[in-house]
Amino acid sequence: MAGVRLEHIFKKYPGSETASVTDFNLDIKDKEFLVLVGPSGCGKSTTLRMIAGLEEISEGKLFIGERLVNDVAPKDRDIAMVFQSYALYPHMNVYQNMAFGLKLRKFKKADIDKRVRDAAKILDIEHLLDRKPKALSGGQRQRVALGRAIVREPQVFLMDEPLSNLDAKLRGQMRAEISKLTKRLETTTIYVTHDQIEAMTMGDRIVVMKDGFIQQTASPEELYNRPVNMFVAGFIGAPSMNFIKGTLSEQGGAIRFKTTGIDVALTEGRAQIVREKGLVGKEAIMGIRPEDFHDEPVFIEASPNSVVNAHVEVSENLGHEKYLYLNGLGTETVIARVDGRSTVTDGINVKLAIDMNKVHMFDLTTELNVFES
Amino acid sequence: MSTAQWKEQLEQILNSPLRVLRIDLQEWNNASLEQGALTPLEAVPGASLNVAGGRIWYAVRMERAHVEVIELEADALSEIERRLVGWTIENMKPVKPSIPHAAQEAERQAVELGVWITDQLEQGRLDNEVPEAMTFGGRLFSDMIPFLLVSEHERLRNTYAELEKLLNSFFIEEVMLIPLKEQEWLILGPMSLLSDAENEDRSEGDEETPRELLASMCSGLHGMLASEWVGECHLAVGEPIGPAKAIVETTSLLRETVFLGRKFHVGENVHLPWMLHLERLLGSIPESRRAEYMEQLLNRSDVLLEPEILMTLETFFRLDCNVSETAKKLYIHRNTLLYRLDKLKQETGLDVRMFRDAVLVKIILLLYKVTKRK
Repeated sequence: MAGVRLEHIFKKYPGSETASVTDFNLDIKDKEFLVLVGPSGCGKSTTLRMIAGLEEISEGKLFIGERLVNDVAPKDRDIAMVFQSYALYPHMNVYQNMAFGLKLRKFKKADIDKRVRDAAKILDIEHLLDRKPKALSGGQRQRVALGRAIVREPQVFLMDEPLSNLDAKLRGQMRAEISKLTKRLETTTIYVTHDQIEAMTMGDRIVVMKDGFIQQTASPEELYNRPVNMFVAGFIGAPSMNFIKGTLSEQGGAIRFKTTGIDVALTEGRAQIVREKGLVGKEAIMGIRPEDFHDEPVFIEASPNSVVNAHVEVSENLGHEKYLYLNGLGTETVIARVDGRSTVTDGINVKLAIDMNKVHMFDLTTELNVFES
Repeated sequence: MSTAQWKEQLEQILNSPLRVLRIDLQEWNNASLEQGALTPLEAVPGASLNVAGGRIWYAVRMERAHVEVIELEADALSEIERRLVGWTIENMKPVKPSIPHAAQEAERQAVELGVWITDQLEQGRLDNEVPEAMTFGGRLFSDMIPFLLVSEHERLRNTYAELEKLLNSFFIEEVMLIPLKEQEWLILGPMSLLSDAENEDRSEGDEETPRELLASMCSGLHGMLASEWVGECHLAVGEPIGPAKAIVETTSLLRETVFLGRKFHVGENVHLPWMLHLERLLGSIPESRRAEYMEQLLNRSDVLLEPEILMTLETFFRLDCNVSETAKKLYIHRNTLLYRLDKLKQETGLDVRMFRDAVLVKIILLLYKVTKRK
């Protein structure tokens, strides 16, 4: 097993005015499960393909372990890849698909057989070994693709949206299985996805990318609770964080955030940061996660400085929780997530308290989180 | 010498940048008539034309209905240099793979066949059948599946032997590997690849068409070559053929497929001729007409070219104009997507939720990719 180090990596395609990946620096630890996440076109797949050797690196250095591999062919990098399009070999059965890479590397027949059968057992596809890919379901095909990677016992697994062709239920199952599997195998894994749920549930660390730049690298918890900018804050979490534009002002020794329907006081620690950064009297954007609105009377009574009144346009009851689509707080619709047992219904006015320990404040110009920068 | 090498050397000698273009024959003919000629100038190697924008085109070679030209700034050349470049191209010998001396008989025959195919293509003789002596003892009379492989990497030593061995292992049967240009190979795979698949037990209503099978085969082969050979490459597959009769025409079609695939779908490596009909049609429109058309359409507004809108539209079309799926894929709220589409409609008058406008915008995007990468 080995770590992977990317030093000032750039990717620029001929004829393109801008770089697809810009100054990518990252040290991926041995045995780590790292997720690259971001919207389409953010450069996450290009980065993975450079690690795989499928794309040339325009600038920078790439190390797998201590070996510089910029000019090493994919087959000699000791990596195994799993792609979205499973790219199984349609004329070979499952056994042959899994054994092919080992055969090329001249493994002994007995070793090949052992590795294939062990991997098949782990993936629960022993009964499918004689079948050809087209006789398999989507989930089974993806397991075979994983099996083909596992038997190689590589230093690094590279996975590019491996679950995006599966339906939601199967995706959930496979997500858990891949996590279990990589922990058991203790192999460094770099996983690309556009699905933030996959990122949050699978990654030891997550790299959020946008327009070829790393926005933030952090653990799932840190990314969720301490996003460095509005993009990360909005990208991670579903429903997304609410962004409300307003003005910060000092009043009676407290810093208050005011806009239509909102007049709340920041906690003392956060107020101090606002003062230190010279934001008093200026416009800013407050970020509130949907679950940081509370309709429980106890919470409202305990939070007199953060109570707001809003009109419930629509409520969606998901059973264990309820989404409230609120009007009257700033100019946009705001989403609150409350307990499923809440009695709030469509069309009524509701009193809610904001958990001011958890709100974020973003600079209007730079969009950086002023509490985290 | 590869195209990249002679291009670089010529640029150094002339101290001026040049571009290698593949244009439609019609475009060459139109440019020729615009010079005042009564009949179009024949696009023979070395023939030159002055074209709009103070440029000169030199024909390098003709293939099917396309002409490979090099384009230079007219001001960069004196009259003597101009004639000298034409004379050089006229007398330039096409690069032919050297026929190995000590190599196996099969490799020698394959190289010879590759040279013959290249000659036929250069002379535009697409209907020519393979001479009896080159049919590998009659093997070329059997139907086979043609693949065209174009590698991105520099030629390695012993590539032929290594690649042939790899392909034989992959197909489990012997394949025919025919080297064409540098880093370009024609692979003829056995028909059993398709018949094996047809014999497999399958549930009803879940049958793959022969084209779907060929696409899976091409995708699997590409995956194998990318990970087990030298890395990234482009691969096209055609419908099964009797190579003795159709090898030249098929090679030409697959070359065109790889060319169009790379031009219109950057980032994709598996190219299927039956998926590129619109691209083929658009590719055949002369460059000047394309530019004119784009000029007219984009004059409506630049909003179409904004990166965010481009990404939105590409995803929207890829997901068959499904608003919910597109919003999900792009990680935006459905209403944000609708807002973007409304903004596009407001600025351009084109509503991509309407079939007619969607087709038009799809064409604009395809043409934009080509004109943008000049």
